[in-house]
Amino acid sequence: MSTAPHAVAPEEIMAHFDGELSVERAPSVATHISACADCQEVRASLRKTSQSLSSWSVAPAPANASFQDRVACLARENSLALSRSEPRIFRFSSQWTRGQLVAGLAVASALSVPFLVIAIPNLLRRSMAGPAMSRRVKPEDKEKSLIPLDGPLGTAQHSKAFANRLPSANPPGAAADTNGLLLGLDDHVKDSSSLDGQSISDQQSRVLTAPMISRTVSLSLVTKDFQSSRASLDAILVRHNGYAAELNTATPQNAARSLEASLRIPAPQLPATLAELKSLGRVEGETQNGEEVTRQHGDLLARLKNSRETEQRLEAILTQRTGKITDVLGVEREIARVRGEIEQMEAEQKNLEHRVDFATVNLRLSEEYKAKLDSPAPAISTLIGNAAVNGYRNVADTLLAIVLFFAEYGPVLIFWLFLFSIPARLVRRRWCHAVRV
Amino acid sequence: MLAFSKGSADSFHELFLRYKQPLYGFFRRRTADPSQAEELSQEAFLALLRAASRYEPRALFRTYLYAIAFKILRAHCPKAAFRATFFGQPKSLRDPAKQDATESGLWVRRAVEKLDPIDREILLLREFEQLSYAEIADLLQLAINTVRSRLFRARTALRNLLEPSAAPSPNDAAPSAEPAPLPGSPQTIPQRGIRL
Repeated sequence: MSTAPHAVAPEEIMAHFDGELSVERAPSVATHISACADCQEVRASLRKTSQSLSSWSVAPAPANASFQDRVACLARENSLALSRSEPRIFRFSSQWTRGQLVAGLAVASALSVPFLVIAIPNLLRRSMAGPAMSRRVKPEDKEKSLIPLDGPLGTAQHSKAFANRLPSANPPGAAADTNGLLLGLDDHVKDSSSLDGQSISDQQSRVLTAPMISRTVSLSLVTKDFQSSRASLDAILVRHNGYAAELNTATPQNAARSLEASLRIPAPQLPATLAELKSLGRVEGETQNGEEVTRQHGDLLARLKNSRETEQRLEAILTQRTGKITDVLGVEREIARVRGEIEQMEAEQKNLEHRVDFATVNLRLSEEYKAKLDSPAPAISTLIGNAAVNGYRNVADTLLAIVLFFAEYGPVLIFWLFLFSIPARLVRRRWCHAVRV
Repeated sequence: MLAFSKGSADSFHELFLRYKQPLYGFFRRRTADPSQAEELSQEAFLALLRAASRYEPRALFRTYLYAIAFKILRAHCPKAAFRATFFGQPKSLRDPAKQDATESGLWVRRAVEKLDPIDREILLLREFEQLSYAEIADLLQLAINTVRSRLFRARTALRNLLEPSAAPSPNDAAPSAEPAPLPGSPQTIPQRGIRL
């Protein structure tokens, strides 16, 4: 076997053996092979390997009649479709197999079931609710049911609107007061006025004359002259006998000043006060709320009256009856408890009446800010220096955060990785084995 | 195939009879289960039927058919591996070589299994499917010179496996992985390759 370099590479011998060599190269390679014993050996080796491979025979394909029939049937259908030269869409549809159609129908039905389950009850509910809603609110009734928020409380207009809103709620035989108002108070509330002296009767008459409404207004204003608006606000409060329950002023540098205040204004003065407040600047937002507390107030009065009666009875027991010391002490304890409840309810009553007597105005007053070039811009070197310092600080913070993260969660991560690595290794081993097979 | 795409059902029957066994052999040599090979060959024929309207004779029909078969096989392998990994091997699976091969065939098959996957595929396509280098390169998306060098490497490795005592000759001692383009052969294009 010669060790001299060959003019023909072994791959060229193989290509010649396979008949894959170009026409120009083939004659020279064939000439070389016929003269070179080594190359002949290579070619013989290749031939032998190919002959060895030919021993790997495959059994004949099983004669599957059903498959052949199916293929023949499909071929016929396909040839018919092609010979008819139908539009492409029909040819496409003919390619759908029965399994695909069944799967498609199953998916469609599965999707439609939750749709029907959700949609049908909603549709039924809407169709049932539609006539009921139309019966409930008629255009002419709607006008009557609205109570105007503007206008002082207790006026004839306000009372009339309130009376129109309540007729169906009143029990038959309920008495009407002089202003034509009917209130659905419980009987024991009405009786309480005769039992509790002058103060209760005053309170009840207050309840019976007008609905008790606690009013809240939110107002957002933007003003050009903040100082004068601030002074005008104080003047308005003094003029209308109101006061500021809370007032916060912010005067930041190079930004708009602002004021946030919670004002308490006597309810009859509210419309006039609002009009004056709106004149302080441009109104950006306004919200008005009215919470009716008539029934709440009536219930409170009734409970107060009952507690007072209980207190009177307990005091009578203490003065008229005799008994053991323990009984006396028990009665005194009960009197103290009832007294505490009475005082708590009186405080609630005062608070409620205060909320009705004084409307709350949440005011936000902002200045229309105009930027000024009064301060010189910092030098570029300063800006670059600041940016570099901030950048260094950010990098240090990030590195520290990473270290802290791994210090805190690293052990847990390692633990979970270890746990997952066991099944992952098993799956990988099985996968590799399956791929090899 | 052209006749069938124009509406002749008999021509497809002819195609079926002519390529049924080669196609079955293609899948049988690459799968473990004969029933799988049968299913895949059926699937290949059905794909051929469905694609008949789009057929354009840009290459040999044989190349076209093996390209379809190769795509079906490539789609089948991960699915089969997934099933085997998570649901286990089917019980009916037996050693494929023992079913339809002689002792020498079994020996050859065992040796072929030890080859590199791409080398093995090139060798099988050349030896059993009789595809040319250019067709193999087109099918596997490889450069033609890569196909040639890999084929030579596969044959050399197979010879060494089948005849361990055979001493390597100086010519095939160090076959270059990427030989320089030969005169008359196409220029080497960057190797893209596919995953087998």
